Amino acid sequence: MRTVAQLELRQRLRSTRWKVALVVWFVVVGAITALAVGALGDVGDGLGLGSSIFGIVVFFVLFLGLIVAPTLSSAAVNGDRNAGTLATLQATLLTPAEIVVGKLLAAWAAALAFLVASVPFIVWAILAGGLNPLLLLATLAVLALELGVVCAIGLGFSALVTKTSGSGVLTYLVAGALSVGTLLVFGLTVPAITAEEQVRAWDVEQGYDWESDEPPVCEWQTVETTQVHTERTWWLLAANPFVVVADVQPVPPYDIDDPAATSADPLALIQTGVRAARTGPADEVDWCTGMHVSFDADGQASAPASPVETPELSTAPVWPWGLGLHLLLGLGAVAVAVRRLRIPAYSLPRGTRVA
Amino acid sequence: MESSRGIHAVGVRRAFGEVQALADVRLEARPGRVTALVGPNGSGKTTLLLVLAGLLVPDAGQVSVAGFDPVTEGPQARARTGWMPDVFGTWDSLTAREVLTTVAAAYRLPRDAGAARAAELLDLVHLTELADAPAHVLSRGQKQRLGLARALVHDPDVLLLDEPASGLDPRSRVDLRVLVRELAARGRTVLVSSHVLTELDEMADDAVFLSGGRTVATQSVTAAQEQRRRWRLAALDAAALRAWLAAAGVPAVAADDGAVHVDLAGDAAAAALLRDAVTAGVPVTSLAPAGGLLEQAYLALEEERR
Repeated sequence: MRTVAQLELRQRLRSTRWKVALVVWFVVVGAITALAVGALGDVGDGLGLGSSIFGIVVFFVLFLGLIVAPTLSSAAVNGDRNAGTLATLQATLLTPAEIVVGKLLAAWAAALAFLVASVPFIVWAILAGGLNPLLLLATLAVLALELGVVCAIGLGFSALVTKTSGSGVLTYLVAGALSVGTLLVFGLTVPAITAEEQVRAWDVEQGYDWESDEPPVCEWQTVETTQVHTERTWWLLAANPFVVVADVQPVPPYDIDDPAATSADPLALIQTGVRAARTGPADEVDWCTGMHVSFDADGQASAPASPVETPELSTAPVWPWGLGLHLLLGLGAVAVAVRRLRIPAYSLPRGTRVA
Repeated sequence: MESSRGIHAVGVRRAFGEVQALADVRLEARPGRVTALVGPNGSGKTTLLLVLAGLLVPDAGQVSVAGFDPVTEGPQARARTGWMPDVFGTWDSLTAREVLTTVAAAYRLPRDAGAARAAELLDLVHLTELADAPAHVLSRGQKQRLGLARALVHDPDVLLLDEPASGLDPRSRVDLRVLVRELAARGRTVLVSSHVLTELDEMADDAVFLSGGRTVATQSVTAAQEQRRRWRLAALDAAALRAWLAAAGVPAVAADDGAVHVDLAGDAAAAALLRDAVTAGVPVTSLAPAGGLLEQAYLALEEERR
């Protein structure tokens, strides 16, 4: 295993292409950080700015990582096969698992180098925002695992498909399906989970004259309304790597006075959205409180207390589901690759020679 | 014990979809001998070597390499088998030395032993000067030599060489021949495939002829020397030579360059003919086998098949 990983890394380190890619990466992430700072500089400061920049930088690091990671592994097996170097390894005493895991470790290490190149910006955002340093560890860990999963999937395809371009495209397709496809499917299933349902509503009394000065009396009514049961399909969103990374952050305290504080942070937005989707619609709604505000003698606004509990976002984390699914995918891909590298071979991939 | 070493293959079959690459191969390669695997392009030589190297499962037949079945006892068989593929892929950015130390590690040699072995082999194939140059600057012949060194890293009992001499310069060919003979002398089993038959002549003890995925003949090269074969006879005076041959009743075929070809049964017959010709005053300049032993045997087989 170490032999293979060492061999792969040695070859990678000696190609100039890889150094160029790393420099370009550093520049791009730096540029995005600078742009984010410039764009948000006027909007807010303090906690809001820091966490927003953190969110934007992490979002883009994952985005770029999903683009780079497939190129690191999707030619690992079929590329070697075409170059005639795979069989020479297989003919030695190395087991298929050692070859596959060694290649995966090398590809993953290369992906992690890109992650390391973006750490300065993430650290800066955390320091500027006064965020918990533990956040850095959690985020980096999840980012690293996600990149590892993409590398594993690329490796799996490279063992399945003869052409390196084919395995590259397939890997991008899977990354795209997880990142964008899950969103599309989630959107497309909305009609299927939408229903007209009876809900208990704390509503304005029936026949209330909206012209009158008398405050309305609130009362329970049973009304028919449209409910979208996203609690049945939230798991589609959980499979999205962006959701996994976003959801690993601690839930930000929602600040009613300063909603802008979190609004520019794409991660926080994603997290809130997914947790809300998981919570689903409430079966009791308040359509009355706040409809009429009366002022008492002291000039204090008073409204009758609402019997409807304010719906709380699900506190159950979503990310373990997504991360678990991704790790299973990665393990499956590794298992496929190991199977395909077993020798002596019974069948050969179409149009390939063993050596 | 002797019979369990070396290479034994009986009734080996292997198809790739519609193509029957190996239809019925029988092969015996004994320790201490160099066995030539001869056959036209597409006769299944490379496929057979892949089966023997434990990379491909035969559809049928029994195979034993160094006493182990490459299918059911893969690791044991591979530990004793050195395989040099015909298409030599190399890790281009690695140096020759790193290629060998990597392969040594892949055969689970300790690091120090691997480094020592690499240095030893680089010396053996005359690549010491290029040891620390990246493999992509090596010429085809140099890569071929590196490939041979790679097959020898774990000091295997059985050596499978697929077209080892292609791309080698004359000096390297001689070196290869000497090395192969030396390995055989140390009790190794060597199987060499090639379609350049003259070079096999000089290194092989036995030959297995493959055609259309079948073993069509098995022959000992020393035995071939005693067989009736064609010799080329040339003289200063071609007319005198032909006249003498006609008088002596030796059937001869005129070759393009004024020389003649005669069929003779072994070296003794050749010596006798030469003596008679010289005694008769024919100005003979040369008498030599026309083409190699294996070439003639091979062409004879081809003719039979037509």
